[in-house]
Amino acid sequence: MKRICYVSAALLASALNTMAYAEIDARAIAFNCRNCHAESSLDAKSSIPSLKSLSAQQIQQALLDFKYDKKPATLMPRLAKAYSDAELAAVAKFLSRN
Amino acid sequence: MAGLSRRRFLQGIAGLGAGVLSGCGGVPLRSGGKAHVVVVGGGFGGATAAKYLRLLDANIQVTLIEPKAKYITCPGSNWLFAGLANLDQLTVDYQDLQDRYGVKLLVDRISSLDAAQRQLRLAGGQSVTYDRLIMSPGIDFRWDAMAGYDQAAAEQFPHAWQAGPQTLLLARQLQAMPDGGVVLIAVPADPYRCPPGPYERASMMAYWLKQHKPRSKILILDAKRSFSKQALFEAGWTKHYGYGTTNSLIEWLSLADNPLLQLDKQNRVLTSEFGDRFRGDVLNIIPPQTAAQIALQHGLADATGWCPVRPLTGQSLFDEFIHVIGDAAHYAPIPKSAFAANSEAKACALAVTSLINQTAIAEAHWLNTCYSLIAPDHGISVAGVYKLDAANAIAPVKGAGGVSARTDAQVAATEADYTRAVYRSLIADTFG
Ligand SMILES: Cc1cc2nc3c(=O)[nH]c(=O)nc-3n(C[C@H](O)[C@H](O)[C@H](O)COP(=O)(O)OP(=O)(O)OC[C@H]3O[C@@H](n4cnc5c(N)ncnc54)[C@H](O)[C@@H]3O)c2cc1C
Repeated sequence: MKRICYVSAALLASALNTMAYAEIDARAIAFNCRNCHAESSLDAKSSIPSLKSLSAQQIQQALLDFKYDKKPATLMPRLAKAYSDAELAAVAKFLSRN
Repeated sequence: MAGLSRRRFLQGIAGLGAGVLSGCGGVPLRSGGKAHVVVVGGGFGGATAAKYLRLLDANIQVTLIEPKAKYITCPGSNWLFAGLANLDQLTVDYQDLQDRYGVKLLVDRISSLDAAQRQLRLAGGQSVTYDRLIMSPGIDFRWDAMAGYDQAAAEQFPHAWQAGPQTLLLARQLQAMPDGGVVLIAVPADPYRCPPGPYERASMMAYWLKQHKPRSKILILDAKRSFSKQALFEAGWTKHYGYGTTNSLIEWLSLADNPLLQLDKQNRVLTSEFGDRFRGDVLNIIPPQTAAQIALQHGLADATGWCPVRPLTGQSLFDEFIHVIGDAAHYAPIPKSAFAANSEAKACALAVTSLINQTAIAEAHWLNTCYSLIAPDHGISVAGVYKLDAANAIAPVKGAGGVSARTDAQVAATEADYTRAVYRSLIADTFG
């Protein structure tokens, strides 16, 4: 049983890899935004904006601007460059809804 | 590829071999009805995993087991030395996890683990069974690394590498030291918890000494040749603490080829392999580390002392029903930080819900961001974004991440502000 499971897990992993992840799971990326952009409004005076009040379009534009160095910032340009435009769009959509 | 529908994608995966998805996930649930996931350790990894499991799938029962009813964060603990925080401000509890997310909390310690039966025994005598176990038990210390430095000696020469009484002890020793005294900070080789932590600590101590005991010196005795954010730290030390001059409050010495071997408690002297002797008034000895005892005891670690995992799911290489995350696990090149533990926990929670619900496991994404304060108005940062590479190993995404690009006063002040804001957000995201 155990052996079979290991083989299956390896197969699954390589399958996911070669298929280049047909669909973007925005959650896997977007959850990490909450480490800095707190969801709760408890920290109203924080200099790091909560993303809840922004539209998907606003978040997406900001992310693309960070990625292509059109909007200066201390950290976000370093992070946004890691993702494809499609991933950033999916993340923006997820964050504006959740 | 973008045009592939989710359904076809899933079919594609399933078509790779009967039971690819159900091979592991199809194991009958121990609890019969709802799946039961037990999380061990209520630090940054464990608390995040427990919360996000419940957020992702309210049908999963989640039990968090942690011996301390309140948790004191290591992040922020260096600020104590500069008088910028106290332990109360760094203390959190598990009330929100219980009330808002329906996590069941057991304030107890795991004493043993029967992996074959998928059963844990708690120090209080209770037994708990699980369908999947997520372990985030943190670190332990290697007490055999330096002759004379053991658990008892740490009561006199604190490591302060687990926040709490050790942090207070070290802060009091710093305050009691005479002006003109010497602080020794002994730093281990990689990997260890919080790579920039020792240098942030030196900075915060220097900030306090500059005001109260300006003739003093901090000597960092490093087992490494270089360190995290080195150029940024050194520029900050030059700006604030006279680094590089004879009056510098901070000196850094690499002992990469000449390791510290012995502590002479009586004379407060550390001796190196070549016989160099370093005498200090305050000795902060940070020993080399391993995964926590509970992980070692149950064979979840390898010869390195850390727990190897399949990165996509966090499953232990030694037991498919046990996932290990946070400092205890081997996620290199992701560093051992609270931010990383939180990120690993989210990827793991996503994978665990997929395994339980027999759905495809999403691509994993990890993030680490680490801010350090050099002075109250001078912050610096390093960031890393990580994904699986073609060989299914964790790798930093090329062209992303890196350290603060600019170091002018305005950016330094903004990053100091972000240091505090990110601390509060990370706490809210993990425990709130
Ligand atoms: C001085 C210092 C400063 C730091 N600053 C930062 C920072 O600014 N930013 C950052 O991101 N990181 C920072 N870190 C690193 C951070 O503290 C760790 O990386 C993080 O705590 C790791 O989380 P974890 O869940 O793996 O372990 P921990 O947070 O240590 O949690 C482990 C938990 O498991 C419990 N446990 C252990 N054994 C058992 C058992 N048998 N049964 C039940 N429970 C058990 C423990 O009680 C503990 O609460 C710092 C560390 C230090 C030392």
